[in-house]
Amino acid sequence: MTVILRAEGLSKRFGGLKAVDSVDLQLNDGEILGVIGPNGAGKTTLFSMIAGSIPPTSGRVVLEGKVISGGSPRRAVRAGVVRTHQIVRPFQNLTVLENVMVGAIYGKARPLGARERALELLDFCSLRERAPQLPGGLTLAGRKRLELARALATEPRVLLLDEVIAGVNPAEALQMTDLIRSVREKRRLSIILIEHVMPAVMRLSDRVIVLDAGKKIAEGKPPQVVKDPRVIAAYLGESASEAALGPGSLPTPVSGSGPASHPTPSSNPTPISSSPSKKGPGGRP
Amino acid sequence: MKLLPHWVSRPALAALVAAVAIGAVVPKVLGWSVYSQNQVTETFLFVAAALAWNWMGGYLGQVSFGHSAMFGLGGFISARLLLALHLPFWMAWIAGGLVAAGYALVWGHPTLRLRGPYFSIATIGVGEATRLVMTYWEDLTGGSSGLSLPITAGLKSELYWWALALMALVIAGSYALRKSTFGLGLLAIKSDVDAAADVGISPTLMQDIVLLLSGFTVGVCGAFYASFQNFIEPGDMFGFDRSISFVLMAVIGGVGTIIGPAFGALVFVILRQYLIGSYPQLYLGIYGLLLIVVILFEPLGMMGLFFRIGRRFGLLRPEVEATLEAKAAVGGAAADPGARTGGPP
Repeated sequence: MTVILRAEGLSKRFGGLKAVDSVDLQLNDGEILGVIGPNGAGKTTLFSMIAGSIPPTSGRVVLEGKVISGGSPRRAVRAGVVRTHQIVRPFQNLTVLENVMVGAIYGKARPLGARERALELLDFCSLRERAPQLPGGLTLAGRKRLELARALATEPRVLLLDEVIAGVNPAEALQMTDLIRSVREKRRLSIILIEHVMPAVMRLSDRVIVLDAGKKIAEGKPPQVVKDPRVIAAYLGESASEAALGPGSLPTPVSGSGPASHPTPSSNPTPISSSPSKKGPGGRP
Repeated sequence: MKLLPHWVSRPALAALVAAVAIGAVVPKVLGWSVYSQNQVTETFLFVAAALAWNWMGGYLGQVSFGHSAMFGLGGFISARLLLALHLPFWMAWIAGGLVAAGYALVWGHPTLRLRGPYFSIATIGVGEATRLVMTYWEDLTGGSSGLSLPITAGLKSELYWWALALMALVIAGSYALRKSTFGLGLLAIKSDVDAAADVGISPTLMQDIVLLLSGFTVGVCGAFYASFQNFIEPGDMFGFDRSISFVLMAVIGGVGTIIGPAFGALVFVILRQYLIGSYPQLYLGIYGLLLIVVILFEPLGMMGLFFRIGRRFGLLRPEVEATLEAKAAVGGAAADPGARTGGPP
């Protein structure tokens, strides 16, 4: 299998905070790589560096032998790397069709036939009949599909998806999962996926890396990763029973069990997400 | 026929050609007095300036309170060239426009990183600083005693046709900057700079291009105004109320719309004529009041009213009206604050 994208020692420091701390990753051609980790682990910062929106403090990102980090997002898009946003950011003043056309025109600087390519992508993302409307009228799932269509319109080789499933209802989540699969199959893209919805990550990803406090703490096939004690500790705290399940915290999917019992996807219909660090007294001591 | 780009609508082109033809014929038919014809010339001039301001303020959502800097610079550069080198006046205008565009780029390239109110505040500083420097730079501007230009009455009436041509060009430019693929990119930048950059747009480059075009056009308008007035002085050319007048014309007519600022300029010129005649001490205050009223009750100004009337009488489908209004709105996200979900990342 050939490596299409490689991050080498990627770090980002915001003042005294090391948001991302020398992370190496590689993405194989046609692969879906999941990136998981508690809130604040540095996942989105990692994405921003790969997509060129923020320059790394050190390290670099190489796409097929070409350095794409440290420039502008445009450089990354032209090279073939595009991202979506965790909080959807459609252009509110453009119709759904025009939103996608912007990607088709400016992604590779190809204005000719942009409309047709955009319409084809709207078909692909089941948004065709919404083409003349403003994005404000779409559901959240619809706007997430629009975000995906706009990114695909730039004709990327590598797609960075930042939480495209979180926050939508189960039926829509399933639809999105299928859509991501067919992006890989029909459009032959390689995908890096940040996601909190564990069942989706587990189903979609060929490989998963886990970030915690800016560091990569685990990497491997999804079933192995969730059994990794470091991963469990990162999500639920070193002494999960007191830290994560203490009074006042929400019941978590693994409630009643200590760190020894593993949160496997099959036994986890609800996302483990990061409920301990969100609502509880903190996932980490 | 493949002569025209796909985004040019035939009816719009026909309307422009018809308007120019009417403008060309009317003074001959009606036999206007010199005074009325000069009034119309000045109106055309301000239509052009207001539309050029709107490229920044309406199309990019970067509201400038410093456009008097380019207006004045264009005026004084061309005046000096006319006086010193006796160039044909159109050549002096273009030179004035180019210098104004260059100056716009010098202050605009760094400040355009700011957005919204921050950019606007920076432009106030630029405008006022320019006014002060120019008032004391007597070698260029003649200081507070100003410059007199040798203009004959014959030339002054000839300027009507030049103003008509200038206005027609700027209207065509306004249309192109909204409807072309470049215009689609500008709308994306106005809505969300970072998201636009993430799909491959270079906001810096595109904003600089718009700034150059806007600065050039306003500079040419200033140069035209200098030729037309016989006499210019820095306090008038670079004054803050000059900058405000561009904002006001665009807001009254419909900021962010293609043709709205043109109507705004028309209203502005009529209103100013009346107010300066009757209430010279009040007119700035009345402008301010007008600005507040329009922004509160009809943010898209006269175009907003036209849209409403169009919908009421079934000439404009509601969803078409919605997209028109969304494109005009300053700041795309402001058009629909509920559409963004979730908190900050």
